Amino acid sequence: MNVIVNRVAEFLKGYPPFSFLSQENLSLVARSVEVRYYEKGAFLFQKGEDPLPHFLVLKEGKIELLDGMEIKEYCEEGDVFGVLALLGKRPYLLSAKAVEDALIYAVPVAVFEEMLNQNSKVALYFAAGFASGQVVVRQDLSQGQIARKTFKTQPKDHSLLIFSDQSQIKVSENVLVALPHISIQHAAQLMSAHQVSSLVLVDANRFPLGIITDKDLRNKVVSEAKDVSRTAGEIMSTPVVTQPRGADFSDLYLTMIKHRLHHLILTEDGTEQSPVCGIISDHDVLLSMGNSPAVVVHALNNAASLAEMRAIRDRAEQMLRYYLDNEVAMDFVSSVMTEINDTIIQKAAERVKKELDSKYPECRSLNFAFLSLGSEGREEQLLRTDQDNALIYEDVPEALHQQAQAYFLALGTGIVETLIACGFSPCPGEMMASNPRWVQPLSGWKKYFSDWILTPTADALLKASICFDFRAISGSTSLSQSLSAHIYDQVQKKKAFLSFLGLNALKNPPPLGFFKGFMVEKSGEHRDQFDIKARAMMPMADLARLLILSHGVVGINNTFRRFERLAELEPQQSELYSQAGKAYEILMRMRALEGLQHQNSGRYIDPESLGKIQRQLLKNAFVPLSELQSLVEVRFQLAYFRS
Amino acid sequence: MSWWPFGRKNTAELADFVRKYLESNRISIPNIREISRLNFVVLDTETSGWNTNKDEVLSFGAVKIQNQSILISSSVEWYPQVDMKGEKAATIHGLVQTQNQLEPGLFFQKVLAYLGDGIIVGHHVGFDLEMLLRIGRKFGLDAFPNPVIDTKILTLRLEHGPRADFNHFKPEAYQLDQVCARFGIRLEDRHTAAGDAFLTAQLLLKLLALAQKKGIRTYQDLMR
Repeated sequence: MNVIVNRVAEFLKGYPPFSFLSQENLSLVARSVEVRYYEKGAFLFQKGEDPLPHFLVLKEGKIELLDGMEIKEYCEEGDVFGVLALLGKRPYLLSAKAVEDALIYAVPVAVFEEMLNQNSKVALYFAAGFASGQVVVRQDLSQGQIARKTFKTQPKDHSLLIFSDQSQIKVSENVLVALPHISIQHAAQLMSAHQVSSLVLVDANRFPLGIITDKDLRNKVVSEAKDVSRTAGEIMSTPVVTQPRGADFSDLYLTMIKHRLHHLILTEDGTEQSPVCGIISDHDVLLSMGNSPAVVVHALNNAASLAEMRAIRDRAEQMLRYYLDNEVAMDFVSSVMTEINDTIIQKAAERVKKELDSKYPECRSLNFAFLSLGSEGREEQLLRTDQDNALIYEDVPEALHQQAQAYFLALGTGIVETLIACGFSPCPGEMMASNPRWVQPLSGWKKYFSDWILTPTADALLKASICFDFRAISGSTSLSQSLSAHIYDQVQKKKAFLSFLGLNALKNPPPLGFFKGFMVEKSGEHRDQFDIKARAMMPMADLARLLILSHGVVGINNTFRRFERLAELEPQQSELYSQAGKAYEILMRMRALEGLQHQNSGRYIDPESLGKIQRQLLKNAFVPLSELQSLVEVRFQLAYFRS
Repeated sequence: MSWWPFGRKNTAELADFVRKYLESNRISIPNIREISRLNFVVLDTETSGWNTNKDEVLSFGAVKIQNQSILISSSVEWYPQVDMKGEKAATIHGLVQTQNQLEPGLFFQKVLAYLGDGIIVGHHVGFDLEMLLRIGRKFGLDAFPNPVIDTKILTLRLEHGPRADFNHFKPEAYQLDQVCARFGIRLEDRHTAAGDAFLTAQLLLKLLALAQKKGIRTYQDLMR
């Protein structure tokens, strides 16, 4: 190996999948590399083009993968990209553009395929990435593996790490089988009776002949209006692909990937000439990977105990970390986390209600809605920070008053306790559905809001700013809708309220000092730390709420979606709003990462501990904030209100 | 200094491989050929000193560029047998390479076959070629017929225009380290022939991209 090959090999060695290769193979790959240089702005390939005969490794610089104008992914040093198209032998799904001058190592596909064939680890590495829809093969795997070795107790659910140990994949032993001469209708009846998506047709010896899946019923029967009294054998898929019972998980998975199978049949000796003994579906594979949001939600819905829910919620946090590390788009991340939190609340409501209903038979059919307030109401709660919630129920006759109050308070308390058990901290301000003050009938809530709007004291404004972002999670949405209608009605009547809200939004000093330094806390526990929530995120959320309220828009709670909507409503300011939305995303991301790293709320950040780029990012995020502040100052004539 | 092998002053007999090499260089590259279609051989040598009359080539490292890609598969690193005392050579860059040394005839044959009709590129490449020619003369070669690009000169031209003069700049500013630093090329494996050749190849890729941005599109534009 001469100096040049060695140089290339040394670089590749640091990143998967090359890190799995033997020295010999590595030098083989390194020798085949072609080095290319792309200037800033140049396209490496365009969406829809046929794949180059190379897959690409970023050596230096920065690449973005685009779908039209939309940036889907950033590639950093060591990332492998352009593989999906090559392996699938189909045109590129995205365009790749150099955002900085970029040096690329191109590896010929022939060498690559050789690698795939020889080294099952490499193959699985890619297969796993693609199964989860990854466009870029990330370089952080090796670190992940190291981390995993260090923390053995961590669940084996990193979606990229499925192959390192015998995975605990569940193979169903009870395979639904039938003889091929039964009718199609009978086959379908069997499948629905057993609630399975596949039926294996076997001969008299239980040797597999073919398989019928939901897809076959769809494609070969319904869409072709086939007579369902014909034999099932006519629509089965053949030949069947089989593997022996007890095969290695990686073999199973690889077979499925290679043959693009949704179901894989296991037989006693692995051939077709032996009895069927198990079946594995891609859904089982997915479940074993555990990192898909669908799986987490599914698991929550089936959780048997509180402890299990807690464990699943903890697992979701790992998923969050994975998303953040991989810079998955924020709106996706926050919707996923919101969905998970909402599921917990819905499950909790179900359980608690079931327990209570026997004690309060006359209240069981009353309408109610469990409201999430604050950040969870805005669908922005990534970490399990303070819960803010409330309960609203329909107005009841005088006679039932006491009983309803007791029933719903018990219900609210039960849900709050479940959330606490799942790791959400209680609200220090007692703004929870376990506090009788926040468990009210519709008329009570209407009165609260009317009071806040008519007499906007400091306390009222604080409460309003939390309660305005309510979102019904469980129960009937009609109650929350009529409350919304009431609020917007009141606000329209008293426009001056908006100016008070504006004052409240500007109450927090700007995040940067005169010399562009961060405004850190002057004293107390968090001295010299920067309060990202109070100084940056809350003001932005407040401003977004105020502006969207002033447009009379109902039903958008999320801060960055509010900015998106504002950009549409005020085209002349659209630039500012879309920047503000992006800035808010950055702040959310930073706070979540900080919180995950230190196992806290992530609220206080030590500016000194940030890298230069992060610091700059953070400062840049403040630019739209101060512009928004001056916009609000002028628009709502706040100078008059101050005096 | 013509490629034509007649009227030579050199008295050494023209070796067969040299004749073949000269033959392969008879057809010159069309002027209008696009830069992206040109084949380059980027080389560097390590020598026992700076005196082209006394010192010797200790190693030769090179890599080819085709279709604007550096072909790692083409990279080579060869060491000719040297008559000099080992100590003297070792003191230069700590280069002590005793194994795989090639007998000078074989070494030069390999070098010429490698160069072929490619465009020779190097940083301050005139010196390297002069040193190689010290071996080459023994086999009847008195000049390399290939077109030659000195990245040092090309860098100056692209940074300061075609009329720029080295006398107006600090000489260090155009040493390979400093040029690489300016072009954001990480310095690795300095002072091995192959390492420097690889750096120079990366530099050339960047220079060619810059050249094309400045409207230098064809072979003729480049060699002007």
